[in-house]
Amino acid sequence: MDAFAWMEQTRLSVFVREDFYAYFVLLIFHAWGMAFLVGGGIVFSLRVLGVAKGARLERFAGFFPYMKLGAAMAVISGLGLLAGYPAKALTNWVFALKFLCLGAAALLVWLMARQFFPLAASGRPLPARAKWLGAACLALWIAGIACGKLLLYTNWILLTSDLVPAG
Amino acid sequence: MSLPNDPIFDVVDITVWGIDVGIYDFMYSAWGWPIAEVVHFTGLCLLFGAVGTFDLRMLGAVRGLPLNALHRLIPFGVAGFVLSVVSGVMFVVSAPDQYVYNPAWQIKMVLLGIAGANMAGFYLTTARKLTALGPDDPPPLGARIFAGVSLTAWLGVIATGRVITAFRPPAWFWCAWCGS
Repeated sequence: MDAFAWMEQTRLSVFVREDFYAYFVLLIFHAWGMAFLVGGGIVFSLRVLGVAKGARLERFAGFFPYMKLGAAMAVISGLGLLAGYPAKALTNWVFALKFLCLGAAALLVWLMARQFFPLAASGRPLPARAKWLGAACLALWIAGIACGKLLLYTNWILLTSDLVPAG
Repeated sequence: MSLPNDPIFDVVDITVWGIDVGIYDFMYSAWGWPIAEVVHFTGLCLLFGAVGTFDLRMLGAVRGLPLNALHRLIPFGVAGFVLSVVSGVMFVVSAPDQYVYNPAWQIKMVLLGIAGANMAGFYLTTARKLTALGPDDPPPLGARIFAGVSLTAWLGVIATGRVITAFRPPAWFWCAWCGS
């Protein structure tokens, strides 16, 4: 808790909490970043599941730079939000679960691209496991969103200064 | 705060309707609001993913994909829109004064209208001309403009939706149509 208390007193943390615009600008960029990242991830998962078969799978690599841009926006703005309320996020297991889900989803996208793009480019069919991986990836993206939205309802502390010292 | 003289929205009637149909009880149960929020942003991501992918291809930002094939994703975007609308209606019905007089929500609704009118304009004037477009062909200027407006409007919808909580009545109160 001492580390959180120290972080809450930094100029960045105070600025994020007390400036009217800072917190909401960060929230907007976080939502835009997540929309690009997760939106692209969902569409890629749907394509692996067999939707829009007329669009060549390997050409979806063209959307990856936009997903990476979204990820960068979400991470940078997320760090800003974390700076504002470090204890709120870092004492909540749902926060860890959010990263686990999004990280696993991103890893699956990378794995599927590595394995399936060469097959698709040479006109060969995807293996049967592709559907399972696509479905798992879709579920993980949605679970990541769900965890992000549930953060507001599952934190047990907002700031360490809210804690009443024992005794 | 006393209720405004509003000739269009009766926030009491809206709330009573919400209570009658059970939305109010659900939303104020332990997990009602969080579940609606999860559904709302999942729908928005599905919508933005499907429509944004199509828009990026129409803008010429991504090549090698036929628009006809990408259009198969649009029903998923529509499904996402339906999820967002249903959950959005549940929010509004459960606290109507916090939304209908909220500047961010009002701008969000205007942007939704622009996105809808833009989509109607696209399907009425341009969509048919794109059916013969090959996977690597650059889209015509008209299609690019429709795609640019669409992406901008949806990004605006996301942004204004995210800041609704910052512009809540009574601290903020917009009602251009209300009487004195």
